[in-house]
Amino acid sequence: MARLLESQALDLLRQAGLTVPRYEVAREPREAEQAALRLGGPVVVKALVPAGKRGRAGGILFAGDAGEAARCAEKLLGTNLACYPVEQVLVEERLDVDRELYLAFTIASGRQATAVIAGSAGGMDVEELSRLHPEKVRTIHVDPLDGLPDFAARQLWYDAGVGGSLLPQLGSLTARLHRLFVSLDAYILEVNPLVVTREGKAIPAAVLMGVDDAAVFRHSELAGRVQPGMERTWRPLTGLEKQVVAVNDADPYRGTARYTEMEGGDIGFLCGGGGASLLLFDALRQAGGRPANYSEVGGNPTADKVYGIARAILSKPGVRGLLVAHNITNNTQVDLVAEGVVRALDELGLDARSFPVVAREAGVNEERARRLFQDRGVEYYGDEITLAEAARRIVARVRECAGAGSEVG
Amino acid sequence: MAILVNRHSQIVIQGITGREASMVTRHTLAYGTRIVAGVTPGKGGQEVCGVPVHDTLAAACRYHRIDTAVTYVPPAFVYDAVAEAVACGIRFAFIPTENVPRHDAMKLLALARRAGVRVVGPNSVGIISPGERVKLGAIGGDNPERCFLPGPVGVISRSGGMTAELAWMVKRAGFGVSTAVSIGGDALIGSTPRDLLQMFQADPETRAVVMFGEPGTTLEEEAADFVEQGGFTKPLVGFVAGRFVEELPEETVFGHAAALISGKVGRPSAKISRLREAGALVAEDFEDLIPLVREAMGRAG
Repeated sequence: MARLLESQALDLLRQAGLTVPRYEVAREPREAEQAALRLGGPVVVKALVPAGKRGRAGGILFAGDAGEAARCAEKLLGTNLACYPVEQVLVEERLDVDRELYLAFTIASGRQATAVIAGSAGGMDVEELSRLHPEKVRTIHVDPLDGLPDFAARQLWYDAGVGGSLLPQLGSLTARLHRLFVSLDAYILEVNPLVVTREGKAIPAAVLMGVDDAAVFRHSELAGRVQPGMERTWRPLTGLEKQVVAVNDADPYRGTARYTEMEGGDIGFLCGGGGASLLLFDALRQAGGRPANYSEVGGNPTADKVYGIARAILSKPGVRGLLVAHNITNNTQVDLVAEGVVRALDELGLDARSFPVVAREAGVNEERARRLFQDRGVEYYGDEITLAEAARRIVARVRECAGAGSEVG
Repeated sequence: MAILVNRHSQIVIQGITGREASMVTRHTLAYGTRIVAGVTPGKGGQEVCGVPVHDTLAAACRYHRIDTAVTYVPPAFVYDAVAEAVACGIRFAFIPTENVPRHDAMKLLALARRAGVRVVGPNSVGIISPGERVKLGAIGGDNPERCFLPGPVGVISRSGGMTAELAWMVKRAGFGVSTAVSIGGDALIGSTPRDLLQMFQADPETRAVVMFGEPGTTLEEEAADFVEQGGFTKPLVGFVAGRFVEELPEETVFGHAAALISGKVGRPSAKISRLREAGALVAEDFEDLIPLVREAMGRAG
C-alpha cells in the first residue's frame, strides 16, 4: 500500500479527464509566490506530504495574494508534518466555494467490497462528520462484479441529503471516480472537500489517494511515483530501511526481507514468517529484551537476500546481539539462512563468541544449517526448543556478554 | 473424515509446470495425495512428476473428474485462474499465491460467492489432513510428519508458518491433527475462522480446535461471536500474537498485509478478551498452548 502525494493524485484525476483546481508544486517560497502569480487571485498553500488530516495539523494555509503565498510556504517548508519533512508545497487555485461535500472510496475488507461514503458536509474528517451529523453521511458497498452505476451514485447523494440540480452531476462524478479507483488499483481515494462552486460545478478540491503496490506491475503511469515499503512505517524510511527495500527489490521473485527500525534497542531481530515474527517480538520483549528492529523474512529467501538484511540489522549502532529465528518452516532452506547470516557476521568482523547470536531454524537442509552456524559459534537450535525459549536465550546471552550488573532489559 | 479435502479429492494444479508448483506437486504426491491433472496453457501433453498437463482446465475436465483446483500461478493471473475454475464448475479453489492485488481478490471472491464455490486463501501455505494423507500447497514441505500427525485437533491459522508450529505444539501436547488450515494473511480471504469452525463442528473426527490470531481485521471477534451463538460447541484454544503493535502508530503493517490496527479495529488485546468472554481457552504465552490443548481434550472427553 502506498500513499501518493496530492499533486500526483490530482495529476491522475486530470489525466482521466476530470476537472480539478489549477495547481503547481513549489520547493521555495519564491517559487510559491510565482506560482500564485500565475494562478492569479487567492490560493491555498498545502504541505505536500503523503499523510492525511493535514488541515488539523496546520499543514493547509490560505493566501489572499502572491506575497502571502510566499509567507505561507516559508512557514510550512522545513517543518515536520505527521513525521514527514515538508520539502514541497502545493499551491492551488482557491475555488469560489458555495458548499463543501465529502466523498471517499475505500476497500471494506469485512464486506469484501468497495465502500463509497458520501457526506453532505465537507471539511471535517468522516469520523467527526458521522458523529456530529449521522444523517448527513451515507455509505454503500459496491459489488466488484457490477461496479457503480450512475443511478446508484445519485441515490447515495440523495440519501445523504443532497438534492436538486446537483444530483446528476454528483452521480456521474462519483461513478467516474469509482471507475478511476478500480482502474488504478487504489485502496483509498478521499475527496475532502468536494467543492461546489458558486457557478454550481462540483470540483474535487483536496484529494488523498493510496494505491496497492501489489498492482503496480500493471500501471506504467504509477512507475516512479510509488515508494515501496511505505506501508510498513509511520514516518519516512530510514537509510537502513531503504537499503533493505533495495535488497528485497533486487530479487523480487524469491523470498521477502522487510525491516523496520525501532527506536533504541540492542538486540538485532532477524526473524521470519508473518505470524512468528509477531510472536517473537512479543516474546523477546516479555523476556526483558529490547529489539532494535522488526523484521520479517520469509518465502524461502536466497542466501544473498538474508545476507543483505542481516548486514543492515547488524549495522544499526548499539546492536549487541542477534536473534535469528523462524517457525518450523514448511519449505524454507534454512542452510541458506545460515549462509547469509554467517557471511554478514564475517564481513562485519563479528565473532559470535563475544557477540551473541542465537538461531532457531527448523526446516529444509537443517544439518547443513547446524554445521554452518555452530562452526561460527552461533548457539543453534532446530525444533528442540520453542520460539519463546529462543527469545529468552538471546536475552540471557546478551546479559551474560554485557557482564553482571549491566542494564539490558 | 476431514474438512475441505479428503482421500477422494480429485485435484488439479493450475500452473503446474512452474518451479514452485512442480516442487510442491512432488512433495504432495509423495505424501499420498491424488493430483489427477495439471494445467499450463501452451504446455499440454507434458508431464510433471507423472501428472498429465493440459492446455486448459476445460480440457483437463474432459479427462478427469476434478473437484478441487490449486492455483499455483503468479499474482497477475490468479483472478483469471479462479474464474476458469468457476467456469469449469469446480467446487473448491485453493489459492497459495501471495501479493494478489486487492481489487482482483475482491472480484474473485465475489465471483466464487455467486457461483457457490468455496475458496481458501489467497496467501495460504496449505491445508493438510494427516489421517487422509492429503495436503494442498507447501504445508509440511517434504517432511509433514515432523508436525502433522493424525488426531482429533483442528488447526486454524492466519499465518502459514505458524500452522506448522501450532501443529507441533499439538503434537508436543500428545495429540494429532484432523485438518490444519492456513487461511491466508491477507485482508481479503475466502474462508474465515468462523467458516472453518462451522466445518469443524460438523466433522466427527475433530474434538477441539486451536486457532492462531494476529492484529488487524475482526476475524477472531467473528469466531468468538460464532462460539457464543452456539455455532461451535467443541473446546476452542486460541493464541493472538503481536501485542506490541498496539503500542506503535496505527495504520502500520507488521508481518501480514492484514495485520494492521486502525482505531478500535484489530487490537490483539480486544481479540483476546473477546475470545475469553466467548469461553475459549486463550494462551498468554505460546508455550501455554500445550497445557491448554490437554485441558481442551480433557473437556472434549
